[in-house]
Amino acid sequence: MVAKGLPVETPSRRLRAARAWRRNRFAYALVLPALLFMLAVHIAPTAAGIYVAFLDVNLFTFHLLFRAPWVGLENFRDILFESENPLRPGFIDAVRNTISYTAWTVGITLSAGLGIALLLNRQFPGRRVARTLMIAPWVVPSFVAALLWQFMWQSDTGIINRVLVDYLHLLDERPIWLLGENSIWAIIVPTIWRGLPFVILVFLAGLQAIPDELYEAAAIDGAGPWQRFRYITLPLLRPLIAIQLLFGVIYAAYQFSIPFVMLGSNPGPYADLLMTLIVRQAFTNQLIGYGAAISTLMMIAMLLWVAVWYRAFRRDLVTA
Amino acid sequence: MGRRVNRRALTLVVVLAIALVPLTVLPAAMARTEAPNVTLRLWIMNNGPEPVRDTERIVAPFERQTGINVQVELVGWDVQFQRISNAALSGQAPDVTQAGTTQVPFFAMTRGFENVAKRVGEIGGRKAYAPGVWATSGMAGSSSVWGIPWFTEARTIYYRKDIYRRAGINPKTAFKDWASFKRTLTRLKRVSSFNGRPVAPFGQPGKTAWDLVHHIMPFVWGAGGSELAKNRRSSAITSPAAIQGVKYFADLIPSGVFLKSSLERNAPQVEEQFKGGRIATWIGGPWVLASAKRADDEAWVREARGNIGVAQMPVGPTGKFYTFVGGSNLMMFKSSRHKTEAWRLIKYLSRDDVQLQYARIMGMFPARLAPQRKQGKVDANQRAFYTAITHGRTYAPIPQWGPIENVYKTRFGNILDMAAGQGRNPYNRSTLVAELQAAAREANALLAQGG
Repeated sequence: MVAKGLPVETPSRRLRAARAWRRNRFAYALVLPALLFMLAVHIAPTAAGIYVAFLDVNLFTFHLLFRAPWVGLENFRDILFESENPLRPGFIDAVRNTISYTAWTVGITLSAGLGIALLLNRQFPGRRVARTLMIAPWVVPSFVAALLWQFMWQSDTGIINRVLVDYLHLLDERPIWLLGENSIWAIIVPTIWRGLPFVILVFLAGLQAIPDELYEAAAIDGAGPWQRFRYITLPLLRPLIAIQLLFGVIYAAYQFSIPFVMLGSNPGPYADLLMTLIVRQAFTNQLIGYGAAISTLMMIAMLLWVAVWYRAFRRDLVTA
Repeated sequence: MGRRVNRRALTLVVVLAIALVPLTVLPAAMARTEAPNVTLRLWIMNNGPEPVRDTERIVAPFERQTGINVQVELVGWDVQFQRISNAALSGQAPDVTQAGTTQVPFFAMTRGFENVAKRVGEIGGRKAYAPGVWATSGMAGSSSVWGIPWFTEARTIYYRKDIYRRAGINPKTAFKDWASFKRTLTRLKRVSSFNGRPVAPFGQPGKTAWDLVHHIMPFVWGAGGSELAKNRRSSAITSPAAIQGVKYFADLIPSGVFLKSSLERNAPQVEEQFKGGRIATWIGGPWVLASAKRADDEAWVREARGNIGVAQMPVGPTGKFYTFVGGSNLMMFKSSRHKTEAWRLIKYLSRDDVQLQYARIMGMFPARLAPQRKQGKVDANQRAFYTAITHGRTYAPIPQWGPIENVYKTRFGNILDMAAGQGRNPYNRSTLVAELQAAAREANALLAQGG
């Protein structure tokens, strides 16, 4: 007990830090290997990638790599503002296609995933079989899925045109899906098909965690199906929607395997995504500085997306 | 006493014998183990249906003769450029690698490869190879030799003899020049199906084909155009002759002789369409002839397998015909710790008999003149390929060619898509020229990197 009026001797900051260190050092020791591993396999390559974006690494300086001439922001200026740069139109096409691809795949995957999860959450005969079938595409690797869809989209022998033209007679002539403007849809549909099962699974788990009593009480109070969905289901699923949205956008923006396998290294001006553009320019055309600059811009765009997302869903994460 | 002497002598003999054992046995043991200690790593690409097993068969006599082990490792064509570049840069590399002929100048630029100019006399030097083939061994304006030509290939026209017969077309005049080639394809439209299968006059892959440029450039050359200006400092793909060549090829699509769906497919898939009897005419390499003889290649339908005809590319407005000649070279990594043994392997693979044997297994052509001639005498189709190789042309041996070829591939692909009616822009001369101008701008930017 400290007598009133006497000066209180507070421990110095250094002492407090030493005590905290002693208290937590075992935890630090446990975290250290993971931290070192992350530094080696994640932080260091990322930093190296950003550094290369400021260098002129091309065919003739490739062997120098990190010792290539420093060009400052020139790679970024060329991509963003230099109208004479012959690569700029391709970059703008890729940005437009990536935004469109991301919006459609994430939008449809989340809304269709929620709709199917609501259906699968109801009691009906064969529910287990339906659930298993819905989840099946998830086990197919992206590479295989892309290859299968490439065969399915082929205009003369593919099953899609057979169904649309020969069996259902919905179209008069066979559309060419893998060329021109249709090609963006040729990659959007398999991405949705591949991504849907995981979304369904997560939403289904979320729906099963909502107590039935809430719906019963709402029904007694006269709430209809739409109101129950609007005021009970949707708010309680918001944390799950937030997480799916975050990862869905990042996954779609960084998509590479599906367009690459289906359309090759040059998917054309209507389906070239940022990742296929980066790989083609950096590794096939050896414009590594240019590719690194686009990768850095993409990383900044994703960080901005995470910031916007965090601002929008912060409260949901806290309550979750 | 005598006994004691004998005993002493016996002990001495035993000691000497024991001492001599290492002196007699060790050298023999060392002689056996010295050579097997050397294991060379050889990177190869997908040169045939079973590339590793076939290459192992080819190098087995070398291993027996020299005691040097050769570890054959497969690197896919889709990743080989990056893997070889990384290996050259990092020094974590095999001893010898196969490389595409047009890639040699770029790999040489990485400074990760050995200049073998001083050794090439041992394999007959440049005289043992056709000038066009030898040109792929180094870089323009340099006497250094970075890659020894291993095997060669050229592009010719494949056609179905039976379908041509049904259409009443004489193959001897069918491919004479551009006009007759177009007439031939138009006439083939009469045969819409053959043996119950729908058949199209002509088919080629589009933008997904890694070798799209090899199929279009012969028409550019035939019109008198070129991929680059003579000084190799700027693109020549927008010259009137080059435009004429590209336009001739692309015009086949709206004329209705070109199977549009082949543009959606990659090169092996269109090859299978020819094997499966879906297309009557197709441009391809010599490996298809070899695959027709393999019973395990089930892509062939019986009538296609037995009716293959090979013809030269049609003569262009210049009065000459050209085709692309490519293939692969062998390059020795600077980081190799067994350079002498690695060179012995390259030397062995450059022997006329070994080249002939390997080329026959893979369905390619030997790179050296003497076995090339021998292979050209096998039958009429092989003779056609031999003629194609001797008339063939390759691209400028400069480090920027690989990326420039990729830029041309992208733009040619866009042109073919437009010609197929796909995309926002209509297909006409001005949209075609706009794509070629975009290709030239990108190519010029790449050429400017050289200073």
